[in-house]
Amino acid sequence: MQNDFRPVLKVAEIAPGGMKAVEVDGHEIVICNCDGQFYALARRCGHMNASLEKGTLDGTILTCAMHCAQFDVTTGEALSGPVPRDAGDEPLPPKLGTYLQNLAALMQSVRTESIRTYPTKVDMDQIWVSMH
Amino acid sequence: MNVESRKKALEFFYKKVVDPLGYKFTPDQELKDFLLEQEVILEQKHGIPFCPCQPIRPRRAQAMTIVCPCIPFHRQHYDAMKRCWCGLFVHKDVTDPTQLQQIPLSEVPHAK
Repeated sequence: MQNDFRPVLKVAEIAPGGMKAVEVDGHEIVICNCDGQFYALARRCGHMNASLEKGTLDGTILTCAMHCAQFDVTTGEALSGPVPRDAGDEPLPPKLGTYLQNLAALMQSVRTESIRTYPTKVDMDQIWVSMH
Repeated sequence: MNVESRKKALEFFYKKVVDPLGYKFTPDQELKDFLLEQEVILEQKHGIPFCPCQPIRPRRAQAMTIVCPCIPFHRQHYDAMKRCWCGLFVHKDVTDPTQLQQIPLSEVPHAK
């Protein structure tokens, strides 16, 4: 079991409430520091693959910076999908309106999936992640 | 997406918002669970957790005034009732929410 874990970062490299992306064995993962508890999850958002470390971490809830989909970093569970943008109340130019309508129709079928998590442990000042 | 998980997440975020406003979740657990569940359903439909007890208006600026917790947009009205419109939040000093009534805005003195 010990051999499954890979050293990824020093504890001091992530402040509480912070996140950092690393690559381990070809896998992109994000390490989250939730007030001293470390969690690792796949880097790509379960909605549209944005880099999750660019988002915000509040408690154990990660909000993606791209469309504000939210995930529980302890389980990887998707908590909410994207937040709709403000298109304004004024009517849009016809071409732009049609484009946005088509885009919205395409986006409707995009689901927000839960994301994979990885076991972590802290040994001395090092954060270790198991890729299994 | 799991409704129960989302309810917990909304509770986590709302608590941080309403606490500095002088409010807390209603002690009525059944009502709290029901209202949070309705908000999750509204969020799944619209992408935004609107108040489940108020109509969603077509103009965005108006609709945004009923995004939960909507206390800052209706401060005088809710302070007069010691609760928000749907009753999910009550003043911190409230122990028995059954004593609180909904009061129409038109009957609240000095409320806008």
